[in-house]
Amino acid sequence: MPLKINPSFVEKVLCAFIREELHKFSFRRGILGLSGGLDSSVCAALAARALGGKNVVGMIMPYKETFGRDVKDARALARKLGIRTCVVDISPMVDAYFTRYPTTNRVRTGNKMARERMSILYDQSVEEKALILGTSNKTELLIGYGTIHGDMACAINPMGDLYKTQVRALGRHLRLPASILRKLPTAGLWTGQTDEGEIGLSYSELDAILYELVDERRSAREVIGLGFKKKAVEKVEALIVNSEFKRKMPPIAKISARTVGHDFLYSYDRNR
Amino acid sequence: MKVALAQFSPHLGVIGKNPEIHFQTIVRARRDKARLVVFPELSLSGYTLMDLVPEAALDPARDPALKKLAAASRAIDIALGFVEEGGRGLFYNSAAYLSAGRIIHIHRKALLPTGGMFEEGKFFAPGKSFRTFASLFGKTGLMVCRDFLNSGSSYALFSGGADVIIVISAAPGRGFAEGAAFASSRMWELMAEAVSFFSTAFVVYCNRVGFEDGKAFAGGSFIFGPSGSRLVKAREMEEELVLADLRLEDIRAVRKNRTFLRENRPEVVLRSLKGIIDAPED
Repeated sequence: MPLKINPSFVEKVLCAFIREELHKFSFRRGILGLSGGLDSSVCAALAARALGGKNVVGMIMPYKETFGRDVKDARALARKLGIRTCVVDISPMVDAYFTRYPTTNRVRTGNKMARERMSILYDQSVEEKALILGTSNKTELLIGYGTIHGDMACAINPMGDLYKTQVRALGRHLRLPASILRKLPTAGLWTGQTDEGEIGLSYSELDAILYELVDERRSAREVIGLGFKKKAVEKVEALIVNSEFKRKMPPIAKISARTVGHDFLYSYDRNR
Repeated sequence: MKVALAQFSPHLGVIGKNPEIHFQTIVRARRDKARLVVFPELSLSGYTLMDLVPEAALDPARDPALKKLAAASRAIDIALGFVEEGGRGLFYNSAAYLSAGRIIHIHRKALLPTGGMFEEGKFFAPGKSFRTFASLFGKTGLMVCRDFLNSGSSYALFSGGADVIIVISAAPGRGFAEGAAFASSRMWELMAEAVSFFSTAFVVYCNRVGFEDGKAFAGGSFIFGPSGSRLVKAREMEEELVLADLRLEDIRAVRKNRTFLRENRPEVVLRSLKGIIDAPED
């Protein structure tokens, strides 16, 4: 079982990561967007264990009444974890923009919402003197299933090396409420959207293919040879290749002898 | 003779906190009656230095912190890691053994991992040899992290008659395992078990903990005895000072029956290696 994790060990590593990384930069508090979905719930639970509930702020940022159930789940989880919450309705800001520049393009509205939340999260992080905890998982990062400078934006990401199915196992270990564990994953870009419906593959299938391509570094042909569907493997490979820009800082045109992003090489944790 | 492994998390860069941590740990190790305290790789500077390497480099002949540590070695032997200012614009990822008030041996890491998550070859010059030296523990050899994952380096120290092989390490944990550890932790013990057994020597391995840029240094430091059995094991991922008693008489006892050292013929290996080194491209 290559995707099997030892959840208590993973919890130990990720809690230590959150704690140490914040303390190195003299922060005591973490802040994150709470959607009521699996990833942000797992991240909130890890942060509460790492920092203590009172040092975690969950930002609940619904658009209109579309995701009332999720708001309820997010609030219930926050109560259970003993973390603070703050609800900001993003409808007025998003609607103000699209009233002026109307569109029926769901990618535009979805991205705008994700970036609105990012903007609020960064603003509130100053007020709270908190660092932003990212909630993107490895599956999303690899296939580019996230909004650049939106939900992908964060100060540190504790979950980015766990596939969605592994996040779910961790969620079970952290005893998240069944309503969250059972929920169909959705980016919440529009009503009725599900990740699996949009990607066209189940997460268990997707993660198994990603594992072979990425962790085992097998070629698409080899992965197909293992018995995975040709169409699925080719699609996953294309998703990975076409989303490289989301995983990188933008390229800087090199002119001088020493250039940021090329040969000005320092660690993020430099002098910490 | 007691050995202490100082599994800790060095600060990264040039901020002067690390020598203080060494001094505090030395006090604790002395209190525990250790005769040697081993620190991890690059214990005076942190690991992911990259372009900080020249700034973090210390001249072993002149550096005040190393001089103070050497003075501390009058009371307890010390093995530590630092960036060595090699002159001529060369910098080494080095291990030093300090005893009786001075640095008695420096080993420059010879095998610099450069690939995947590792970039040491971009920033460090490689060392050229593995040599044993005399210490309180008999013939002693030093290695730095990746040096140990090559059978040739252990063989060189074995042929040099090593009684004790000290490995200082900054090994990031990676890969999932069944137990409460990274998969990579097994790799180090696998090598240590084999090297201690077949070299009939002690293997003392001190790894660091803490995070740098998301990499978790896994800890799990350990000591193996000359019969290939593990004497002590530190926890994964946590700061700890662990101690073990090295009974040096075990070396002689084991070698009475296991005659690997007596049978060793380095000249045969050397001849074979020469043939390989001198061969044209294949």
